[in-house]
Amino acid sequence: MNRINPLYIGVTLIVLISFISYKLNVVTDEYNEAKIEYKKTLALANELKSLENVYGDKKRIKKSLEKILNHSSLRGSEINKDFTKSTLKIDSKSINIKALNFLMGKLLNGTYQIRSMKIKKLSDLRVSLELEIKW
Amino acid sequence: MKFNKKLPTVFLDTDSEYESIDSKVNIILSPSLYWVKKISLPVKYVRDVQKLLPSIFEDILPDGNYNYYAYKVDDEFMVFAYNDKFILDTLSKKGISLSNISNIYFAQSEITDIETALKINEKQSVYIKDGVLILVPCCWIEEKGKLDVSDIKHSKHKITLHQFGHIVETKSLYKIGAILTVMIFLLSSEYFITLYKTDKILSAKDEIYQNYKLKSTTFQNKALLKKYKNIHSMQTKIRKYISYILKIKLQKDERISFISLKNKKMLISFTGVSKTRENVIKKILTSKGVSFKSKSTKDSMRIEASL
Repeated sequence: MNRINPLYIGVTLIVLISFISYKLNVVTDEYNEAKIEYKKTLALANELKSLENVYGDKKRIKKSLEKILNHSSLRGSEINKDFTKSTLKIDSKSINIKALNFLMGKLLNGTYQIRSMKIKKLSDLRVSLELEIKW
Repeated sequence: MKFNKKLPTVFLDTDSEYESIDSKVNIILSPSLYWVKKISLPVKYVRDVQKLLPSIFEDILPDGNYNYYAYKVDDEFMVFAYNDKFILDTLSKKGISLSNISNIYFAQSEITDIETALKINEKQSVYIKDGVLILVPCCWIEEKGKLDVSDIKHSKHKITLHQFGHIVETKSLYKIGAILTVMIFLLSSEYFITLYKTDKILSAKDEIYQNYKLKSTTFQNKALLKKYKNIHSMQTKIRKYISYILKIKLQKDERISFISLKNKKMLISFTGVSKTRENVIKKILTSKGVSFKSKSTKDSMRIEASL
């Protein structure tokens, strides 16, 4: 006939509910934080990757610059090109305006990192050019 | 090894006196502690009778909370009603602790083979009439001795008292218990589901690092992103400023003679521009949000824009 007071059982159950609720709150907070962190990391990864693809893909940048400089529109122009490990220096004492328009059009419409530039008018049809592109 | 030890039996009655009991005992309830009926019902099983018990006793029971019990004897049913609190109070008054009680039986089910009336205390006797054990005053009937329950062989009809039935109905207690248990179950499930979801999201975050080939720390990645953002912002500005300059409609003798870019500064030289035209060009650049300094000589103007 030793029966446990139902009040004790009730109190135990309520204490258990409070404890589980507390633990649930803690893990819910952790979950929400993890969710926010996940979203932030994904956004950062997407942004970083897209910018890295634009400015950090050295091989692609170098290859496309070589393609531009070897284009038939620039063939007659006296352009000195100096490729280093991470830069391209273009130099021309006198380049015609048509070739300049082609070259600058390609460079400004592309996603190249122009580090320095100097364009000086020599006559109505010719300019001198110095340009440095980095990757 | 555990042996089945036969426990002493106490006949519990409201008018009897007891010596102190400090070991386990079985209790037989006197007829004064319950209501009993022997009835014939058109049902076959005890479980069918149990549903009818409250209505069978409703006319005779005083106000209070009652529990019921029934068992079958041949084709008839012995049905009982008892007040837990009343029995518990009696046990308490007689100094019998609940912790010392092993089982509780009705006298009706335990005392079945007495042929005459037997005394249970100075004032009362029990005897069987029409199969029902009843309680009568001593002087009503001739007794042939005192009731002895020491060698009694107990039946399987025992009851359990509900100590708190008078405070909260047993059904309500079960309901509350069930609700709390369901709540615990739901909260626990939610807890484990949330843990699982957190684990999954953390794994997904790790996968981002692998799939996007990120640096090992957030700090490194943020620094790299900042670097690329600065490059992007600078390059966008360069293109924007050149576009603004080239969009300026120059007059007949006006020329752009020089454009240079170095160390976040863009220099543009205009030749053949009058004072009025200088102001027009400056106004255009200002309206585009270009921050610049200008220097004018005779017929030329030099603009120094900060990137």
